[in-house]
Amino acid sequence: MKILHDENKVLRQCLANRIIHWSVAVSTFILLFTGFGQMPLYKRYKIADIPGLGWSADFSITLYWHYIAAVILIFAVTYHIFKAIFMKEFSIFPRRGDFKQSALIIGAMCGLCEEPPSDKYLAEQRLAYAFIGGNLLLVIFTGMIKVLKNLPSVDFSETFLAVVTNLHNLAAVLILFGIVAHLFAFVFKQNRALLPAMFSGKVDIDYCRHRHSIWYSQLERKCRKETV
Amino acid sequence: MNEISRRTFFKRTLASIAASTLVLASGNKTVEAGDTVQYGTFIDLTRCDGCAGKDVPACVNACREKNQHNFPQPQEPIQPYWPQTKFEDWSRKKHLTDKLTPYNWTYVQPVEVKHNGKTFKLNIPRRCMHCDNPPCANLCPFGVHNKTKEGAVVIDRNYCMGGAKCRDVCPWDIPQRQAGVGIYLKMAPKLAGGGVMYKCDLCIDLVKKGQEPSCVQACPQKALIFGEKEEMRKLAHRRAKEISGYIYGEKENGGTSTFYVSPVPFDKIHKSIMAKKKQAPKPERIGIPGMKPAVENYLDSANGTLAGYLIAPVAGAFAAGITAIKTMKGEE
Repeated sequence: MKILHDENKVLRQCLANRIIHWSVAVSTFILLFTGFGQMPLYKRYKIADIPGLGWSADFSITLYWHYIAAVILIFAVTYHIFKAIFMKEFSIFPRRGDFKQSALIIGAMCGLCEEPPSDKYLAEQRLAYAFIGGNLLLVIFTGMIKVLKNLPSVDFSETFLAVVTNLHNLAAVLILFGIVAHLFAFVFKQNRALLPAMFSGKVDIDYCRHRHSIWYSQLERKCRKETV
Repeated sequence: MNEISRRTFFKRTLASIAASTLVLASGNKTVEAGDTVQYGTFIDLTRCDGCAGKDVPACVNACREKNQHNFPQPQEPIQPYWPQTKFEDWSRKKHLTDKLTPYNWTYVQPVEVKHNGKTFKLNIPRRCMHCDNPPCANLCPFGVHNKTKEGAVVIDRNYCMGGAKCRDVCPWDIPQRQAGVGIYLKMAPKLAGGGVMYKCDLCIDLVKKGQEPSCVQACPQKALIFGEKEEMRKLAHRRAKEISGYIYGEKENGGTSTFYVSPVPFDKIHKSIMAKKKQAPKPERIGIPGMKPAVENYLDSANGTLAGYLIAPVAGAFAAGITAIKTMKGEE
């Protein structure tokens, strides 16, 4: 977004983006925990016996917080989508050729081949975004239907609800896998330089120059234009 | 010069907000009032005598006979609910008719109550209340618990995992569990699943043929009356007025399809039931429902957050719009 020469850094994620990311992350974590809590697991498997977690076996509590976290998630996701549309920021959206590019990048991180030049987001970041984002949308839409069906005098057909419930559960499991894979990416040393971006918003200028060269070139061009 | 003019921006924003609202609102259009009659049951406690003189009330016998083929046939040996050391097994207690079990879906609860200086000996037929907005069905994590158009709340025994959540969220703890039976045996019987839940299904197969549930058919005193739901409600109100009595089931848990009429207040009935229940040894306390008046539906708290669902997408879009405006101004 902006080159900060004085600090030898590049601003990668603005404050709003960081707030939204962590809102999604925290609300998703709460949703996953309270969502699994909708099954009678925590009492049986003695998670409710852990000090401080006695409430997890109470369905009225887990359901309520499931709903609250869902509201937060919906706000954050809506904000993200509309901001992308208004600002025409689509750099994180997947593109044609991302699978091939992702394979090359992963190969390079394993020392098998040379890494191709990258934009602001690596190909696998765009793919991970699409995977997790798609499942979040699925979970939100099916979740809204489930919220509606829990209201008095709202009844859907049995078959429809079975499909909705299974899609909701499937999406939740896929999100969990997506998050694990997302975090697993930091096992690769080359990816760790990106970690600060989600806290301070900034990354090292050298890292940016050599790993996200396409993006860096765009920033330089923009910077030059502004100087003139 | 902005690529987005102010007019274009607001036009786009309004269209998006309208679209969001439409998506939420359109959900309700799926709900249609069909031609199916919704049924209810009126239970007159001034008429039920518990089939005095008989070992087992007629309605209980009729239910057991009718549902004999639906009762669980567990496979031995039964695994405990790992890592717990216990499991629920009623297969050696099939004879029990003084409580709800997987083998006994209705029973008559004897209650003695003092009211206005008089002692009343009541007999209360108990079974599923078939709620208007049943938490047991709405909250089943596997979607195998449903409410039919006729108003019956039914468990699909073929796919039930026996987690017993439906019992936990039922204000009366109606569904009962039998281990060693059900689909979980084909999955990981030691590690997950608990059997199958059983309860009154309103004899939905008979009802769909235009017949009455077997308990209703069997009642010699006509204490159980089955019919169109609103008719049953009116009948209950009329009877309550006649005897200066009380109604239970109309408002409880957000409303049910079962309307009890009693000559004494139900809070006294509830206290009497609970006092008796406490005296029973602990394992035997399962399957004895109370009658707490004005009991709230489990879903009321959660449903109260509905406004948040309507506001969240609109607020999100609006906040994004503000951010976009500020950013674009900053870039000028």
